[in-house]
Amino acid sequence: MSGNHSSNPSSCRPPANRSGAPTWMLVLTLILGYLGGVYFDHHSGWFSPAVYSPYSSSTELAAYQPKSGAQAMAARGHLLYGQICAACHSDDGMGKPGQAPPLAGSEWVNEKGFHRVAEIPQIGLTGSIPVKGQPWNSTMPPMGAGLSDADLAAVVTYVRSAWGNHAPPVTASDIKSVRSTVAGHPAISGAAGLKAIAE
Amino acid sequence: MNPTSPESQTGATNAASCRVPFLALFGGGALWLVVGLTLAILASLTFHKPDIFANCAWLTYGRLQPAANDAIVYGFCVPAALGVILWIFCQLSESELLLPLLPIVGANLWHLGVFVGLIEILIGGSTGFPSLEFQRGGSVLLFAAFLLIAISAFATFGARRRRELHPSHWFLLAALFWFPWIYSTANLFLMAWPVRGVCQAVVDWWFCANFLFVWTALAGIGVGLFYLFGGPNDEEATGPDDNQRFLTLFSFWTLILFGAWCGIPQGAPVPAWLPALSAVGAALTILPILTIASVALRAVRTRGAAPCRGGPRCSILFGTAFFVISGIMFVALGCPHIGPVIELTWFAFAQTQLQILGFLTIVLCGAICALMPRVMGFDLVFPRLARVRHWLFISGIVLFAGALAVGGILQGLKLQSLAPFATVTASVLPFYRVSTTGLLFLWLGALLFALNIFGMTLKWKLARLHSCLAWLRAPEETIAAADTAAAAGNGRAK
Repeated sequence: MSGNHSSNPSSCRPPANRSGAPTWMLVLTLILGYLGGVYFDHHSGWFSPAVYSPYSSSTELAAYQPKSGAQAMAARGHLLYGQICAACHSDDGMGKPGQAPPLAGSEWVNEKGFHRVAEIPQIGLTGSIPVKGQPWNSTMPPMGAGLSDADLAAVVTYVRSAWGNHAPPVTASDIKSVRSTVAGHPAISGAAGLKAIAE
Repeated sequence: MNPTSPESQTGATNAASCRVPFLALFGGGALWLVVGLTLAILASLTFHKPDIFANCAWLTYGRLQPAANDAIVYGFCVPAALGVILWIFCQLSESELLLPLLPIVGANLWHLGVFVGLIEILIGGSTGFPSLEFQRGGSVLLFAAFLLIAISAFATFGARRRRELHPSHWFLLAALFWFPWIYSTANLFLMAWPVRGVCQAVVDWWFCANFLFVWTALAGIGVGLFYLFGGPNDEEATGPDDNQRFLTLFSFWTLILFGAWCGIPQGAPVPAWLPALSAVGAALTILPILTIASVALRAVRTRGAAPCRGGPRCSILFGTAFFVISGIMFVALGCPHIGPVIELTWFAFAQTQLQILGFLTIVLCGAICALMPRVMGFDLVFPRLARVRHWLFISGIVLFAGALAVGGILQGLKLQSLAPFATVTASVLPFYRVSTTGLLFLWLGALLFALNIFGMTLKWKLARLHSCLAWLRAPEETIAAADTAAAAGNGRAK
């Protein structure tokens, strides 16, 4: 307050004192600013919306993604299942009452052989079949007919290994062989039609 | 100062213009402080005897604790801070309070808003967002009331005679802008057009840090600087020297720049840049805290450490010390590695309570007890109780927040060692018992504070009643007598 300075001799100071920034403050500001910048650079993922703690950058995240092999196939299967199958069979594989039977724990899915479970998505299924002791009478369209062999193999493998299911994986060449046998067939009709296919 | 000098006459008229708004703001505030601390004590009882209110839904912890917090923060801190801001603007402008009707209406609307909001929390209608528990009705009332009071503050600010701003102007003007900004933004994004999912938590974290740390710091430090440096009519005032002015400006800008980034916990399930930026902000918030500490230390050194008799300076120095401690705790909560250990323990609670009850409440009560005698024209009704109140608050907050902070650190360390949760929680109980004792001290202090405010209100109303009655009996004599009495009263007030 300039008004006070005139009446108060103790605050009359020569103007040379104006730049009174203490050294400790400047040094601390610079150190904290530098450390803060380094910390942000290492931990922020540079504003990427996909990078969550404890990961710190998009490159680190990409390094954890499987490039090939069983893991890549599982990831592809999970993705396709979510896009195509989950609408009726639901994300947790428990199905939807009156709409689609459960896949988790289903005896058809967990069969050792893959032929039945690989044919259903290719040509569809109508009529009543028993699943986990319950009769299910609904229609499944050939949802997987448009998928490539590798993609369909990934989905079927995912369904056969997720949610506690424990059937062996299916390869693209397996799917290819099934596809050649069912070409032009009508939809599988009920439990009898399904049982007619060799496991 | 000569009591009959024209300067003191204007001073007394200026002070008298604040009477009714201040009684409305501080009276309601004191009441809410007592109510809030009562609710806080009831809430803490749940930890001593879990089934104590088992059959009473509105006394469950989940309703009592937010109600207690909101009663203290919205009921006391904000209106009391607004009243003290109006007073400081009057003093620095050397003017009377302009548009005094607005703060009167605003104060009543504000208290109505707090009442409606608290009732809604207690009957189970809380919004569920920490620090924003009031439903739409309550928050709209609060927002409108704040704007009304702020308009009067800006009018008084505009009427100032010196162009140059006092450092406390910066902080208090920022506080007047800060609250409407953060309160409206958070309410619009959470209540009017709710954002989705975890973004709601982000908005609420942002609001909590900006309100409970940045806003309280702006208001409390602004008030503190006024009493540390002194106003234009304060004969003992030293004013800030150039160095202090620079340091204060530096702390102001760093506080509003970096403090506003804080608040996102380190373990939050959000993209990593949010907690990372928050951690950087927290580390840089060390700067304003240390700078304020050095300004206060310098002010103590230049004026000498006078013995503490419970005056405003004494309250402000204690309050500033608590601010520095709570600020360092706030920074620790925001730091990576340290934050995740202590964030879900009593430590975080201790930090906000220290900030609200230790820093802001102590500063505001000190200021109010110093300014009310000048506004009313007579001394505090119980000046000794005001001194007792001062020490009750200080011992209370040390017991309350200190015990919880120490307990919280131990709790966090034990949780890291993967001890069973129930065992760890039970092991903090001794600290919790100490903290409830501290809460009782605070409650007693709040009671004494309310006693003084309501005593002054009653005395003033009785005096007015007497003069009205006397005027009815003998109009001419009374007017002459009132003139001399007013002159004498002004003399006492100085």
